[in-house]
Amino acid sequence: MDALSVENLCVKANGRHLLENITFSVEEGRIIAIIGPNGAGKTTLIKAILGLMPYESGSVTAFGHPVKHINSHSRVGYVPQRLEFDRTFPLTVSELIGFTVPPIYSFPFFKKEGEKKHIVELLETVGAGDLAERGIGSLSGGELQRVMIAKAIVNDPRILFLDEPASGVDIEGQERFYDLIKRLNREKGLTVVLISHDLNVVYRFADTVLCLNRRLVCSGRPEEALTDEVIKSVYGEMMGAYIHSCQDHD
Amino acid sequence: MNMITEYLSYPFIQKAFLASLMVGVLCPFVGNFVVLRRMSFFSDAISHSAFAGIAAGAVLGIDLSLSSIIVAIFISALIAFLSEKTTLSHDTVIGIAFSGAIATGMLIIGMLKGYRAEVFTYLFGDILAITGNDLLLLLIISLLTVITMLFFSKPFLQITFNRDLARVEGINVRFFEYLLFFIIAIVVTVSLKIIGIILVTSLLIVPAAAAKNLASSMKHLFGLSCIFGLVSGIAGLMASVYLNTASGPTIVLVSIGIFFLTMLRPRR
Repeated sequence: MDALSVENLCVKANGRHLLENITFSVEEGRIIAIIGPNGAGKTTLIKAILGLMPYESGSVTAFGHPVKHINSHSRVGYVPQRLEFDRTFPLTVSELIGFTVPPIYSFPFFKKEGEKKHIVELLETVGAGDLAERGIGSLSGGELQRVMIAKAIVNDPRILFLDEPASGVDIEGQERFYDLIKRLNREKGLTVVLISHDLNVVYRFADTVLCLNRRLVCSGRPEEALTDEVIKSVYGEMMGAYIHSCQDHD
Repeated sequence: MNMITEYLSYPFIQKAFLASLMVGVLCPFVGNFVVLRRMSFFSDAISHSAFAGIAAGAVLGIDLSLSSIIVAIFISALIAFLSEKTTLSHDTVIGIAFSGAIATGMLIIGMLKGYRAEVFTYLFGDILAITGNDLLLLLIISLLTVITMLFFSKPFLQITFNRDLARVEGINVRFFEYLLFFIIAIVVTVSLKIIGIILVTSLLIVPAAAAKNLASSMKHLFGLSCIFGLVSGIAGLMASVYLNTASGPTIVLVSIGIFFLTMLRPRR
């Protein structure tokens, strides 16, 4: 079964097409990377898939069901590009992750037994075990990304959407982050939809790549789909040269 | 001390004491969301809109608390609806609804014949004029509000933190936003007779803001804000009795004193 199926998706805003006739599918347990220049509609695509943005026409299903039905059972994890929140919000990391732990509707003093332990174990999985009692506003970019990953996977989702998850994170932090995603994909069979500007990341971690520029420019295995012509048409001449060196290096 | 004991033997002081206890906890409890979501203009608009309800109640001869609650809920729904359906900013929508309600209230007041003291009680509040029925209504609203907000604390806090994440996690953001607006409208309205239209927002936001200065977690925030509200309510009432000053402003000034004390804490 396909983990995600998008058919003829069109998104329009202020009379302008942001996305036109996007069709693709993702097999369960695969990592798919979405690339494209700034303004290509990558974030719009993820937001439309997740129901955070209305679309004009087309359909989106995850595991055979409309995404909004999957959402209600928290089978979808999402790490946004830039998390907008009030940094003075007096909230600890464990409280933030606890918002997502079921039951969602319950009195806070009737906490499920072992909830705290589960949250700490999860944070340890993402290399953030020491952050449980830290205030969310005091975290660095890398720490926040790890916490957001923990929050996104706390309910054992089947599909994870990552919108430029490593932006603003140092090189070492990025390595750790992508290794974690790969491990979750391998160990839990997690399907990952990832937006990245870093073509190195795409070659190293993705099974499939989608190249987007308001329309679908290419799709397939990175080494096959990302031809010199495709890269040049999307990113320009300079990037074509970069890709060659990237492939040679690998 | 003897004087306070003597005062506490009067039934109207006992009622005022119970009312200040309940409002002291209820307003900051809900006020935490007002502060975290930066909605103080909304609560101010709701309290002033209730003025139209009070005026309408006086003209129609119905219970003023009931008429003010109905109008406050209507105005909060109107603000939520217009914010959702137009491209106007939230504060612009609030400004339109706010001025519309005030103008309507003033127009209706002009139709009243003679001086209606009870209408002006709501403007400045009078905790010493609280009746048994007012107390009962306050108790019911307090219990329902606290139970509802505790039961739905996760979705309310998740939406306050980030709406998109809440949506992806399957929370009906629209439903909970309307519910929060209605709760704020009801809490503001039932507190009017105690604190008054002009000052009720202070009791919502000042103890919550003071708690936010100190709190490092949600648990601390809710605990501290209720303690500050409670202390403000009781100390303010006692001070007003002792100093023979108006109760509402005295309660608010005590809470502002607490707020400035919390500001002394070194920045984290």
